[in-house]
Amino acid sequence: MKWLIGALSFLCISAASAADVDSETDARQWLGNMAQAMQSLNYDMSLVILQPGGTVEPYRWRHGVIDGKTVEHLSMLNGPGRDVVRVDNVVSYFEPNVPAFSIHSTSINGPISGTLLRNPSALTASYDFVLVGRSRVAGRATQQIRIISRDKSRYGYSLWLDQETSLPLKLDMLDSQGKVLEQVQITSVAVTVNAEESLQNVDVANLPEVLIANPAAVNAHRWYAGWLPDGMEEIMRDRHRLPVTGAPVDYLLLSDGLIDVSVYVQPVGDATTGEQAFRVGSDTYFSTQIGQLTVTIVGKLPPQTANRIAQSLVVKVP
Amino acid sequence: MERVNMSQQKHEQLSAFMDGEHADQDLIKQISQDGALHGNWQRYHLVRATLRNELPPQIQLDIATSVAAALEHEPVILAPNKSRWQQLPLVGNVIPMVKNVGQLAIAASVAVAVVFAVQQYNQPVEIQPGNDGLGFGMGVQGGMSPVSLEQTQTVPVANQYELLEQRRRINALLIDHHQQMRLKQLQMQSQQGEVVELEPEQETPQQ
Repeated sequence: MKWLIGALSFLCISAASAADVDSETDARQWLGNMAQAMQSLNYDMSLVILQPGGTVEPYRWRHGVIDGKTVEHLSMLNGPGRDVVRVDNVVSYFEPNVPAFSIHSTSINGPISGTLLRNPSALTASYDFVLVGRSRVAGRATQQIRIISRDKSRYGYSLWLDQETSLPLKLDMLDSQGKVLEQVQITSVAVTVNAEESLQNVDVANLPEVLIANPAAVNAHRWYAGWLPDGMEEIMRDRHRLPVTGAPVDYLLLSDGLIDVSVYVQPVGDATTGEQAFRVGSDTYFSTQIGQLTVTIVGKLPPQTANRIAQSLVVKVP
Repeated sequence: MERVNMSQQKHEQLSAFMDGEHADQDLIKQISQDGALHGNWQRYHLVRATLRNELPPQIQLDIATSVAAALEHEPVILAPNKSRWQQLPLVGNVIPMVKNVGQLAIAASVAVAVVFAVQQYNQPVEIQPGNDGLGFGMGVQGGMSPVSLEQTQTVPVANQYELLEQRRRINALLIDHHQQMRLKQLQMQSQQGEVVELEPEQETPQQ
C-alpha cells in the first residue's frame, strides 16, 4: 500500500512540475509572439491607465511599418497633451513647457515597459512567466499570463494577450494581496494591412535634434547599495540638481527591465523628516535617514523592498 | 375544513349584509370585533366603489394607523446626550451661571472670551497645533469665536511653511524620477561609449 502511495505522489509531483515547465515555455512562446507582433504589425490602439483612487489617463497608440521603417506614435489625450514619436531608433518627445527633444532609443518609455514588449526574455532573471487561462478583454478572446517576481521583492503582474494577434490588451500591477495598483487597459484595437495615415505623414526630416549625453556627468559616489533585488541592475549613477528646489543629489538609477527605481542620497538638512513611506499614483515614495544621509527611493516597488535597499547602503571610507 | 367553511360562511354573510339583505345584530357585532372581518368590510367597500366608479379623488389609506404603530416601536429618549462642549469642565461651570443670570451673564461670557484672548495673545507662539484643543472646542461651539480665530491664524504659520517646503522637496524628487526614467536610454548610451555610433545598423526593426 505504502509503495502505491509513494508512486502515486511521485507521479503527481512529476506531472505537476512537467505542467509547470510546459506553462513556462508556453508563456515564453506567447511573449515571443507578442514581441514579434509589437514590432511588425500596423496597429492603432486606444488605452487608459487607471490607478484605483487616482487618475485615469487616456492614450492613443499607433504603430506602423512603412517602407521598412517603423514609426510609432503615443499621444496623451487629456490635458495639455504629450506626444512621443519614434522613427526607427530616434524617439522624440513633444511636451508643454519643455523644448522638444529627441534621444536614441529603440522603444518609447510609455505605459508598458519597452523591455517587456520588445525583449521579454531579458526579464527572466527577475520574473517567472506562467500561463494562466483564457478570458475576454476589450471584446476579444485573450490568453492571460502571470508575471511573478522570483524573489517576491517586487509587485506581480497579469498580462492579457490577444489570441489572434498576440498584442497586449491589458496589464494589471498587483501587490502581494492581489490588490490592483495600476491597470493599463486597451479599450479598442485595430490591426490594419497598411500603416495608419498620420504615421505615413510624419515629417522625419524635421524631428528635433538628438541629445547627446554629457559623459562628464558620470561621477563616482561615496556610497553604494549593498543589496539589490534579483535581476535588478544599476543603469546609471550621477550627481545632479533637482528640478524644483535645485538641491544637489547623488543619484542612482536601478532597473530590472520592468520597473525603474531611483535612489537619491542627500546630506540630512535642517529638516529631519524621519521615515516616510507613501504611494503617489502607483509609485512608492520611501525616505529614511541613515547616519547623516537622507536616502529616498522612488519607483513601482513595495515599500518593504525600498526599505531593504535603503538599509543596505554602504558608505565608503574615504 | 370546519374553519374554512365557517369563514366562507361569514364572508357570504358580510357580502349579503353589504347588499342590505342580511341585517343581523350578531353579524354587526362580529364585524366590529373581528379584525379580519373588519378589514374585509373595508376592502369590499373599496372594491365596490372602484367597480361603480365612485372612488373619491383622493383615497385616504390608513396612514395614521401605521404611523401610530411606528411611534409605538420608537425607543423613548429618556435624557438627551450631553453635548461635548458642556462636558468641558470650565464651560460646564460657566453655563449654569449664564442660565441663572440671563442677559447680564452674556456680557460676562464675552468678558471671559476677551480675557482668554488676551491670555492667548501673551503666550509665546506655539508650533504644535494639537496643543490648543480647549480653545478650538470653545471657539466652535461655545460662542467664543474670537479666541479660536486668533489661534488658527497665529499658530500654524511656521508649520505650514515647513509642510509646504516638505511637499516641494517630495515633488522635486518625483518629477526628477520621471525625467530620469525618460533619459535612461540616453545615459545608457553615453556610458557605453562608441556603441552610440553603431546602433542604427544594429537596431533595424524585425520584419
